Amino acid sequence: MADVILKPIGNFDLTVEAEVVTPDNFAGKSADDIGKLLVWQGPEELPLADFFSVEGNGGSSAEDTTIIIDGEIPRVKRIGQEMTGGKVLIKGSAGMHVGSGMLGGEIIVEGDAESWAGMEMKGGSIHIKGDTKDHVGCAYRGSWKGMSGGRITIDGNAVSQVGGGLVGGEIIIGGSVKHFCGIRISGGLIVVKGNAVRTVGAEMTGGTIVVGGCIERFTPGFEMVDVESDLKFNDIECPGEYKKFTGDYAIPQKGKGTLYVSCNNNECL
Amino acid sequence: MEALLNTGSTIDEGRLAKGGSKYTDDYTKECAVCWMCAEDFTSLGCPEKVAVISRDRKYSVALTTKVTEAMRSGQVFIPRSIWANVVVEPDTFSTGSPRYKGSPVFVEPTDDEILSAEELVTKMYMGGE
Amino acid sequence: MVYKNIICPVCGGSCDDVQVNLDKKNGTIDVQNACKMGNAKFQEVVSHHRILKPTIRENGKVKDVSWDEALEMAADILVNSKKPFFFLGSETSCEAQEVGLHIAEYLGGLADSNATICHGPTVMGIQESGMVGATAGQAKNRADMIVYWGVNALESMPRHMSRYGVFPRGYWTKRGRFDRTMVTVDPRVTPTAAASDLHVQLNPNSDYELLSAMFTILNGKEPHPSVEEITGVPISVMKQTVEMMKESNFVAIYVGLGVSSSYGKHRNIEIALNFVKEMNNYTKCNIGALRGHCNVAGFNQLASYLYGYPFGLDFTKGYPRYNPGETTCVDLLREKDVDAAFVMSADLMDHIPAESAQYLADIPMICLDIAPCPSTTAAEVVLPGVIDAMECDGTFYRLDNVPVYFEPFTDSPFSETKSNEDTLKQLFAKVKAKKEA
Ligand code: SF4
Repeated sequence: MADVILKPIGNFDLTVEAEVVTPDNFAGKSADDIGKLLVWQGPEELPLADFFSVEGNGGSSAEDTTIIIDGEIPRVKRIGQEMTGGKVLIKGSAGMHVGSGMLGGEIIVEGDAESWAGMEMKGGSIHIKGDTKDHVGCAYRGSWKGMSGGRITIDGNAVSQVGGGLVGGEIIIGGSVKHFCGIRISGGLIVVKGNAVRTVGAEMTGGTIVVGGCIERFTPGFEMVDVESDLKFNDIECPGEYKKFTGDYAIPQKGKGTLYVSCNNNECL
Repeated sequence: MEALLNTGSTIDEGRLAKGGSKYTDDYTKECAVCWMCAEDFTSLGCPEKVAVISRDRKYSVALTTKVTEAMRSGQVFIPRSIWANVVVEPDTFSTGSPRYKGSPVFVEPTDDEILSAEELVTKMYMGGE
Repeated sequence: MVYKNIICPVCGGSCDDVQVNLDKKNGTIDVQNACKMGNAKFQEVVSHHRILKPTIRENGKVKDVSWDEALEMAADILVNSKKPFFFLGSETSCEAQEVGLHIAEYLGGLADSNATICHGPTVMGIQESGMVGATAGQAKNRADMIVYWGVNALESMPRHMSRYGVFPRGYWTKRGRFDRTMVTVDPRVTPTAAASDLHVQLNPNSDYELLSAMFTILNGKEPHPSVEEITGVPISVMKQTVEMMKESNFVAIYVGLGVSSSYGKHRNIEIALNFVKEMNNYTKCNIGALRGHCNVAGFNQLASYLYGYPFGLDFTKGYPRYNPGETTCVDLLREKDVDAAFVMSADLMDHIPAESAQYLADIPMICLDIAPCPSTTAAEVVLPGVIDAMECDGTFYRLDNVPVYFEPFTDSPFSETKSNEDTLKQLFAKVKAKKEA
């Protein structure tokens, strides 16, 4: 394993788009060559070395390369976009679109991540230890298919549109979510251990959502069918009793989606 | 008092804004106004003026009160204008459009002076120039 | 002299029947047919507060300068900016907006328009699910049920009800108001709501739940009972509304900012559009947005056909990209992600939340407008605007996306420019000269 360490040193007054920062692009390059890769700031293309000090050479292949970003980069977007293998470790917070369209490998963000983490991701894993904002694993604007494979784990909270249009893969949220979690999903699994504000599973036509906490405002188009306890989806366990709903009947698709809601935290449902 | 803020057009707001009269007293009188129901007005102690404060308490704007049956308890309305937008939440849920309808705010009685649109820009946004 | 069939450049209604009597000698104008809002703008032609001289701000002091100096300074600001932002407002022609878009593309900046703080979510919703629409004339002649959802039509588009919506006698609605059922969905008892046959007074921010429940009813299922408490509307009323729609011959739904600006945003619109699609299995039903600003629809049309996206265009990489929340006005300013702004024919300062407005006041701003307003106060350079449809010709798009060509009844008051389009072209020439030097 070859480690490439990037330390933020530049001026991030305007956000930077750094889709070149992937193990695929770094593999086979020396630290010098990596520093010469171009990133965008506004309409200008500038060498990566203007923004980060680079230490260590890339490995022989993507799988063989680990990128460690040693600092906070909330204004650097698109790290790990479309990566196919290897590892990216961000020791602080990450900007928008981290791991967007990712195909394989692993991204770990020790701080928070901005919106659009893992948009339409197809494989690999993203682990965000802090909070994140909107559109985690979601479909791009106008597209009906979001994330289709891999796993996103968020230890903190997410805000809106988690997993919009999900067709496969798993999203596990340790904290809470706000609006439209699992909007229009047709497959895959979303587990929210905390609470949700409203419109969970809106327009879903397939797939599974589990909410361990309380749903403040329940989506109207769901029908209760059963009570099940101690759910298990491969290695993901959800202990406790759950009310099982099917829906969303607001969409004329015969409600093939499944929504589990914790019995203890949602007595009024 | 906590309330949900609604903002929107009124006919005179439209007339004055489109007629280029944003720096007139009429415009201030029409727009620097917080509408509420009688019940909320009474519970606030029937104040002549209120401060509407953003949820994070960073921004606050002084307005005259207007009691109307058009409002329900717990909801306030400010005509679409620079005063209203001081306390509208800037977060857009990744849609580009801030929360003109339904921003949570605090409403408290106040003695602060009501700023004109021009004073508001210069004092609040341009750092007192 | 009396001029007939003048187009009103104020709201999305683009009324085309305004009659104007302009007395240049005495500086008076008499306007027939326009509403209060429209009339006020026509008075601008002869008003005293009109901005007639370009100004710049130097060391905190505002001073009059020549057109050439002002344009020079504006070009300097744009060329020296690393990431300029263009707010191409709606109170001007598509022709002027087009030049603005080209400057933004040339400089690799970002461009946005009023839609972003208005019906942007509506446009996003349409992108998600498509739209069953109709022109205003269709609705006027056919619709026997009108739903104003989250819009106070009487005050935001004052003549909508009388020209297209509720009162006019249409081909199949010969008795006007008597042939139409009018429903308003609004948390507030607005004048529009008061004039309706049925007012559904829902709780704020519960439009999605209400639509979703009505959709569930339409699909023959019973919505979850908790929806009554969430929306404040009894399920029986929802059922009644759905039944009324099904029994009508033609339902025209007009949505306003109440739907697109409350929690849910484009998702509210998306489900409304899906609901309308499904409703067409039972009867004719269409939906349209009541667009408050004059040519706000025009920018969406123009940007879509020129660059593929309706608003929030990002040209930084040389090709257009679009992502509301990232490339849109309020977000860019809140995140401090641009370093100069050009604001045309819109009082942006007035309409954005404090955090964004504060940053806009911080960065160098060029403002093109006709009357003093918060944006011109905070601007470094102010360029006087020409009033479209009164002083120059051009194109607007009406609320239903029908293009309307307008002709002026008087001339631009400035010898230096014929129209905002002209001003922008002059600015573009200067920008190019500086950039290529
Ligand atoms: S309704 Fe709109 S377009 Fe018609 S006159 Fe009034 S402001 Fe002008």
